[in-house]
Amino acid sequence: MLKQTVALILLAFLPAIGEAIYYRHKVSWQSPVPASETVTVDLARSWGDNAIWIDARPDNEFERDHVPGAIQLNEDRWNDLLGPFLATWSPEKKVVVYCSTQSCNLAIEVAQRLRNEAQIKYVFVLQGGWEEWLKKKR
Amino acid sequence: MEFIVGGLFIYAGILKALDPMRFAVDIDNYKTVPWFIGVRLAFYLPWLEVLCGLALITRRLCLGGLLILVVLTSIFIAASIVAKARGLDITCGCFGHASKYLSFAGHLALDFAILAALLVLIFSALQPSEVLPRQSVLFR
Repeated sequence: MLKQTVALILLAFLPAIGEAIYYRHKVSWQSPVPASETVTVDLARSWGDNAIWIDARPDNEFERDHVPGAIQLNEDRWNDLLGPFLATWSPEKKVVVYCSTQSCNLAIEVAQRLRNEAQIKYVFVLQGGWEEWLKKKR
Repeated sequence: MEFIVGGLFIYAGILKALDPMRFAVDIDNYKTVPWFIGVRLAFYLPWLEVLCGLALITRRLCLGGLLILVVLTSIFIAASIVAKARGLDITCGCFGHASKYLSFAGHLALDFAILAALLVLIFSALQPSEVLPRQSVLFR
């Protein structure tokens, strides 16, 4: 049984390494989001009207408070909310996606879907999320 | 039952192998391993599941496959419970993103059912070899 286990563990490396080589340039190996796809609060604010802010948090958190002018787009209601977002989007605008904190992944997932499914190029995840925005607001 | 359980792991593995970045994010949601480990696991674990599923169906390396799947499922159940206790909002990732709409109770029920099926298979696979010395079953 142990030999079989070791054999399977080793065999699984072959397709995994092959797939990793195939994806090597598409994957961020050191952090969930490459530095080039994140933005600080200060920089995002400096974009002014050239940025569209996307709130990827759940509905109740968005309703409680959000970045002024932010549009809600989360995975729970993706199909309902994508249309209103696309109506305000234009190709020259940068999209800034945020969720609660640095450690939450909702913004990363929404940003990935915007890039892959909506084919939007300039999508950035806000470093530190909503918490960081609140700190900088003070 | 080998076909059902094996097929389930092949299906789950292929779903995750098709979108390793999403699975990496799902692993990261558990906050148990750093990203650079999680992303590597996201490339490796789906294939391990697929191979173990194939082992069950083809009955080649079957015992090894069962042992790995029991360990993986147990670790996954423990990680899910710990994550829930820590108040983390997790999607299980067990069937790629298709499983994100399952409730936590649904996840656990499914995982325990799979674990039970795996244990039944492992004991039934060991049973006929009772006439053989135990050592030969473990190390063959």
